[in-house]
Amino acid sequence: MKTILRSDELNCPSCVNNIESNLNSMEGIENATVKFNSGKIEVEHDPELVTEDDLLAAVQESGYSATVSPF
Amino acid sequence: MISFNQFISLFKNPTSRKKILLAVSGMSITVGWFFIGVMGDTFAGDMLMILATVVAGYEIIQKAWLGLKNRQTNIELLVSIAAIGGLSIGIYWESAAVTFLFLLGGWLETRTLQNTRKTLKNLVELVPKTAKVVRGEKTETIPARQVAKDMLVEVKPGGRIPVDGEVESGESSVDESAITGESIPTDKKPGSQVYAGTINQNGRIFVRAGRAGADTTLAKIIERVEEAQDAKAPTQRFIERFARWYTPGIVGLSVISFIFTQNIELAITLLVIGCPGALVISTPISVITGIGRAAKEGILIKGGEYLENAGKISALAFDKTGTLTQGKPRVTEVFSLQPEKVVAGHEEAEPERITEHKVLYWAGIAESGSEHPLAKAILEEARSRQEIPNADTFESHTGFGVSAGYMENKVLVGNRSFMEEWNIRVDKEALQQVEALSEKGRTVVLVAKNGELIGGLGLFDTIRADAPSAIKRLREIGIEELIILTGDTDSTAQSIAGEVGINNVHSRMLPEEKYNVIEKLKADGHRVAMVGDGINDALALTAADIGIAMGAAGTDVAIESADIALMTDDLGKIPEALRLSKLTLRNIHQNVVIALITVAALLVGVFAGEVHMAGGMLIHELSVLLVILNGMRLKWMA
Repeated sequence: MKTILRSDELNCPSCVNNIESNLNSMEGIENATVKFNSGKIEVEHDPELVTEDDLLAAVQESGYSATVSPF
Repeated sequence: MISFNQFISLFKNPTSRKKILLAVSGMSITVGWFFIGVMGDTFAGDMLMILATVVAGYEIIQKAWLGLKNRQTNIELLVSIAAIGGLSIGIYWESAAVTFLFLLGGWLETRTLQNTRKTLKNLVELVPKTAKVVRGEKTETIPARQVAKDMLVEVKPGGRIPVDGEVESGESSVDESAITGESIPTDKKPGSQVYAGTINQNGRIFVRAGRAGADTTLAKIIERVEEAQDAKAPTQRFIERFARWYTPGIVGLSVISFIFTQNIELAITLLVIGCPGALVISTPISVITGIGRAAKEGILIKGGEYLENAGKISALAFDKTGTLTQGKPRVTEVFSLQPEKVVAGHEEAEPERITEHKVLYWAGIAESGSEHPLAKAILEEARSRQEIPNADTFESHTGFGVSAGYMENKVLVGNRSFMEEWNIRVDKEALQQVEALSEKGRTVVLVAKNGELIGGLGLFDTIRADAPSAIKRLREIGIEELIILTGDTDSTAQSIAGEVGINNVHSRMLPEEKYNVIEKLKADGHRVAMVGDGINDALALTAADIGIAMGAAGTDVAIESADIALMTDDLGKIPEALRLSKLTLRNIHQNVVIALITVAALLVGVFAGEVHMAGGMLIHELSVLLVILNGMRLKWMA
């Protein structure tokens, strides 16, 4: 399943790495990409293991707020 | 007072936590200075500075640690080392200032960046979340993205249209600025296409749903704009390569200088200025703002690379006359072949005088039953001037003309051979008129009434009203070479070129020949853009550095394939697109220069002993903010 989060708090391109590697190290996440310019966070994950709330919490742990977006 | 639990939840939220940390550390620094400067209590002052460092450094160290856990060294790590190093050698105020400024800078940058990203966020929020679907006698509200094809959706005046579709019933005007960038509302009646996210203004309409959710034109536009913003421009890739070496390089320099000078303060100051902040954000900020602004004006640019290319365009080719013309013929000339035969002063007494008005009148009657595009143009022009009755009898002679009868009169409208076929004499004067108009690229039809030629009409696919000004504008912004590549005849092409103000015309062109012309321009050192519909002339369009598609609203192919897609048919958007690209390119260059000068100046300053930790961080953060603010200028720059 693909979930799209949006954060408008990304303030330097290097924060992308932090969020990405934090998400990618979680079990149940196949692939996470963070686009700095648009602030879009795309996550391929198994909804059984990782819920939308888990994703939001992981992004928050990296120091940024995000919301789930329909597209 | 807020309760402890409230405080904890505020602290858990990254946004409010930043504010708390900033406020506390800022206050500690202020009070610390008060103790040191006014009270002379250095110990208390130093303690407060340490407190400020720890508070402001909390997040920084956390992020540095997270990075380390993921085997990454980041900027936060450098700042953490510098701050801890500063505390260990007793420069408490400098450590406090470094962490506080880093946090404050980050917060300010986020705020300004949010402002930049807002353009797109607003677009996303344009689409209503729900739709009112008509089910038999009543309506039901369902999530907009669940509207299936062919469902009937009710849109009240003032409401936003939730899906793409066709008006089934009702009339209204719709503000389509979200899609087209055009602020003047468009009139909609049954059969008209409407788009999700546009505003229904004054009438209730029922829309037969076409596409919903992520398939709508607006969603496609947003997706396209985001992809464009995230696509890295060549300058950005170059900068990122540079930045990848820059940070480790500075760390190395810091270690080496410590080994040689044994100066810890110099070493950690180097770490502070090792953040390539302004450099890495210099290009993205301009690209985000430039592409966002263009999107708002109905111009979709595919990405930073295309933006940079478009900014360098020096030649522009129109792939057909159709891009410069209305796309439908209009009556441009009416001539009478029976000028006034009356004695001066007796005009009123001569009822059958054939004026140009009368020529058009009879031609209009004859064409009233025809569906031919030329007939429609004649009828439209005739009706705009006078009341035109319908013919009593009508016969169409495909490819030649029409014959019609009205109140005992027999009217013929058609080309020269049609007239000769009906034994109408085409005299020398008539032939002269026909030739003169043909030379100007007109299609000429003759009108005969009761066996005698009375006049004729010149028809032409007229140029768009905004074409000459758009061409002039293109010259003004420095597009030196403007050419028309067309399959049309010489006279038509020349005539259109003359009217819009283009000298370089290639007519009767085959697709391969168009391709060759583009290649030749490139060989001459030009960066070439081409305006076309993206399908017929794929070959030449791919050869061009930038392909521009016009009137792309509603056609996904154009939105997805063109390098620059203009949502409307407004020719003025072409110079605007190229101008915005040039502005953005210049903005990127300014930002890169600002960033590089700052880095160089800081390095020199540190080794000259003029710049210390706090000052270095201040200059660094200021340069980041300067670059962001410069990029944001693109939003409103005229």
